[in-house]
This record gives sequence, C-alpha cells and structure tokens, in this order.
Amino acid sequence: MIDGLDPIIHVPKRLAAMAVLANAPSVSFRFLKDHLQISESDLSKQMSALEAAGYVSSTKVGRGRGGSTTYRMTQAGQKAYEQHRSALLALIHAT
Amino acid sequence: MESIGLAEELAAAERGAAAPYIDYPPSPWWYAPSIGAWAAAMIGTFTWWRENVGLFVVSLAALIAVEILFVVWMQRRHGALPMPGKGTPPVEIARMWREYVASLPVVALIVGLVWWLVGVPAAAGTAFVLVTAGLAFYERRYAVAAAATRARLR
Repeated sequence: MIDGLDPIIHVPKRLAAMAVLANAPSVSFRFLKDHLQISESDLSKQMSALEAAGYVSSTKVGRGRGGSTTYRMTQAGQKAYEQHRSALLALIHAT
Repeated sequence: MESIGLAEELAAAERGAAAPYIDYPPSPWWYAPSIGAWAAAMIGTFTWWRENVGLFVVSLAALIAVEILFVVWMQRRHGALPMPGKGTPPVEIARMWREYVASLPVVALIVGLVWWLVGVPAAAGTAFVLVTAGLAFYERRYAVAAAATRARLR
C-alpha cells in the first residue's frame, strides 16, 4: 500500500472498472470495454489482475463470437474499493 | 503524489460509478405499454381468485416467470443494469428513483379504489393506463437527469 492506496486498484483503468462494478450486480465485458475505451486484450489483462487479487469474479457463457463474459465484484473487492476511494479522498483533501 | 493526478483519478472513478446509470441503450417503444400490460394482467389474474384457484396460481406464476425473464433480458441488453441497494446512484438519478418509489403507493391506491368501486377488469384497465403513462413520463425525466449527470461529470 502507498499512502493507504491499493496498488492493484490504483491503476486508473482498474479503478474505473471497479467503480462500474460497485454500481451494478453484474457487468458485461462489452460494457466495460465501451466505458473504458480500451482494447479487448488490455481489458482482459486488467480484469485478470483484479480477478487474481480476488476483487472480481467472472462468468463465461458460450464460446467464440456469440459468447459473453460478465463480471461481479466480490465482497473483498467491495471492501478494497471503498478503502481505496476513501484514501484517495483523504489524500486530495490533505493536499 | 500530485493532487491533480489524484483528482483526475477520482474523477475517472466518479464517471465509472455513474456509468451504469447514465450509459444505457434507448428503451424500445413497446417498453412502457408492455410493463403496463403486465401490471394489468397481474391484476386481471384476480378474476380467477374465487372461481379457479389453480388457474389463478398458474397465471400468477407465469407472470412472475415473464418478469424474471424480462429482467434477465434487460440486464444482458444494458450490460450493467443498476439495481437499488447496489452502489450509490448520482444525485440526479437518486432524486428520480425517490420520486418513482413515492409514486408507486399513489398508483396502487388509485387502482385499489377502482377495484373496490368498479371491479377487477376496470382496475386492470386503470393499471394499464397509469403504469404505461407513468413509465413513459418517468423515462423522459430519467433521460433529462442522465444528461445532467453526464454534463456534470464531463
């Protein structure tokens, strides 16, 4: 941790993805890609990092072009996101 | 760390948090009348209440199943359908939700009165008109609130 910030979530793309996930029960890969405006491979990489940290879980339905992936925020992810956001706010108010 | 960088990061988080509420596909024309018809059918099932309990239960179960399928379809279509109790809506949207919830007892009261005074078919018709018109009005106001949120977070 740096100044109370979570290094996993501190990456802007991951923070934005976590913010989306904190406000919907499930979020599709496509929605995240459109919102973050990044490539599929980049989004996959960012979401894998969040999954590896235990902050996000994913569900795949179907395969190939018709397949879809949805993400959910875990309880650990919810807690980490809220702590990170609070730390961010505290740092901004302190400067 | 520079406060400008942190402020930009927080702004990105705010836009991300608002995204499920303000980035949504336009509702199809049949959305409001379909929900109105569903509400009317829900009340209409009560015509079977005293005559045929089996038919009443089957109709009710079918309508609940349709509602579940509809929400699943909405979730897939939207990609990040917000739900009450999950997250914090932007202030503009939170106001819309409060007004929506506050209007529900009024609609229920009017439909209940018509039911009591005139009967189930009239109550079903009233529910169709009120729910369809109310949803269409809500959709328009929601779009204005979403546009205001987008402008604020730009």
